[in-house]
Amino acid sequence: MTLLASATSLERRADGAADAVDRPAASRRLNHDVVRALLSKDMAAARRSRSIVLPLLVVPFVLLVGLPVGIAIYARAGTPPDLGRFLEQLPGPIARDLSALPAQQRLLELVLGYLVAPLFLIVPMMISSALAADSFAGEKERRTLESLLHLPVEERDLFVSKVLFAFLPTVAVSWIGFALYSVAANVVAWPVMGRVFVPTWRWVGLIVFLAPAVAMLGLGVMVRVSARARTTQEANQLGGAVIMPLILASVGQTSGLLMMEPYWIFVASIVVWAIALLLVRGGLRRFTRDRVASRL
Amino acid sequence: MPSSVEFALRCSGVTRFFPSGVAVDDLSFDVPRGSVLALLGNNGAGKTTTIRLLNGVLRPDSGSCRVLGLDPAIHGTDVRRRTGVVTENAGLDDRLTALENLESTARLRGLRGKTARARIDDLLERFDMSRQAGQLCQGFSTGQRRRVALARALLHDPEVLFLDEPTSGLDPAGARAVMELIDHSARERGRTIVLCTHFLGEAGTSADLMAVMHHGRLAAFGRPEELAAARWPFLDVYLDLGGPPTPEVEATLRGLVTVRAVRPVADGALVSVPGRDAIPSVVADVVASGGRVYGTRSLPKGLEDVYFAVQQEIAA
Repeated sequence: MTLLASATSLERRADGAADAVDRPAASRRLNHDVVRALLSKDMAAARRSRSIVLPLLVVPFVLLVGLPVGIAIYARAGTPPDLGRFLEQLPGPIARDLSALPAQQRLLELVLGYLVAPLFLIVPMMISSALAADSFAGEKERRTLESLLHLPVEERDLFVSKVLFAFLPTVAVSWIGFALYSVAANVVAWPVMGRVFVPTWRWVGLIVFLAPAVAMLGLGVMVRVSARARTTQEANQLGGAVIMPLILASVGQTSGLLMMEPYWIFVASIVVWAIALLLVRGGLRRFTRDRVASRL
Repeated sequence: MPSSVEFALRCSGVTRFFPSGVAVDDLSFDVPRGSVLALLGNNGAGKTTTIRLLNGVLRPDSGSCRVLGLDPAIHGTDVRRRTGVVTENAGLDDRLTALENLESTARLRGLRGKTARARIDDLLERFDMSRQAGQLCQGFSTGQRRRVALARALLHDPEVLFLDEPTSGLDPAGARAVMELIDHSARERGRTIVLCTHFLGEAGTSADLMAVMHHGRLAAFGRPEELAAARWPFLDVYLDLGGPPTPEVEATLRGLVTVRAVRPVADGALVSVPGRDAIPSVVADVVASGGRVYGTRSLPKGLEDVYFAVQQEIAA
């Protein structure tokens, strides 16, 4: 029988294998090898999942590239609307700067320079919460979580790898999306603007500091929600109830932030980071084998 | 009596509650190293919870466990480094290939490079999955998934193996191979194996010890032959008489002091005697009464009989 025929050679190798098994000291420090191994496993699996890849590529492309380009084309082709009343509502220096521009440039600068900003917070929040739901609740749904719990992996390493799995691609997509947006907006608007008008320093603050914070906030919410959910869909539904108001709030506030003094972006980033990290830390505390396995 | 280090597994008054009720209730048993323990019981009896407790995935509410001398509630990672588990569901990531599933587990267990690759190749070959190594697990049959899961559990050559329904979904040849592997691992390699299965026949051929669980409680624990001896003090013996017993032979059998019961069957008779030592005298008396005995076969009660007897005791 094949099974027993190879047993002897297998046992010999197994003895060697046993020697090669890592036996790190029982510390609570992060085991980077384990985190990397878990992360690369999840990334490899996610790359093959249409339900992850499509939203990860299509949604940002439509929102961050398609929509601004459409607006720019419309602004170039059509007769620009009268923005007089709208400009009156804006802070003085920004209203003055915009009023000084020709009508077509004014529309482009206003829409692409300020009003689309919320999209750059909606996208990271959406992506990070979707990935977090897949990472935490999805493991339960695929019934792969129990096997992971039976491995010699510390809870902290498992949790951190799951958080990174949701956070890193989100930030990458946000930053790449913003780079594409900047190129697309300047290219399409060039005949009207004749200059590079995005990104501004305010935008850079928004993308580099606030967008990752918002991504972590969506993740933090979803980590808490996923602990109770048994399926990705359930997690998304539960999480949606919390995420949607956050998205609406960001829509309302983000353009305003860009119109305020730049330091407000940093203040907002710090506040959002603090809330997000508190949520994630709470999630880590609750992420024990016993608690997770009790809900399998 | 083995010393504490010679026990691979020890449970002492282990109890675990869930919001839905008690899952394991005052569980106590010791399993010596190199033994195969058949953990039996109906669905919901507490078998999977017991495995989770022993492997430090769950913590007991009271009582304690020792696995290879370590408390899994305290030294869970160290315990899991030395154990392997095949869960009831294979638990493979469908979006990865069989090879990727094994490679990722190998990395998580600290196996790397050529050592890991050689071990993976050997196990894939051993479970006849080499040709499917590069295929996504999504398309695998239940049996193929089970084989990959078994290979994964054996990657680091664990000292204790927890196998939850390891042959479920396997074809007869596959199931036989797994049972041979269990025997080999325990007898030749001194590995301790906890086998949860509904296939009592295969459990009966491998198990040194059996535990029957019911609603989280241990209804019976011990060596199958000892548990049987306690329930059936007499040994059933089949007498091949070449046909139904004649009235004279049957009367002789019923008249013997050593024969407790007689049941005529098509080719002979089933008799209950105190032990194997009584068989020659029974045969001699049958021959003396004019009967012919073409052969005898002892029919000792085994794990399966004990299991159903325990179930009847529980029901009663």
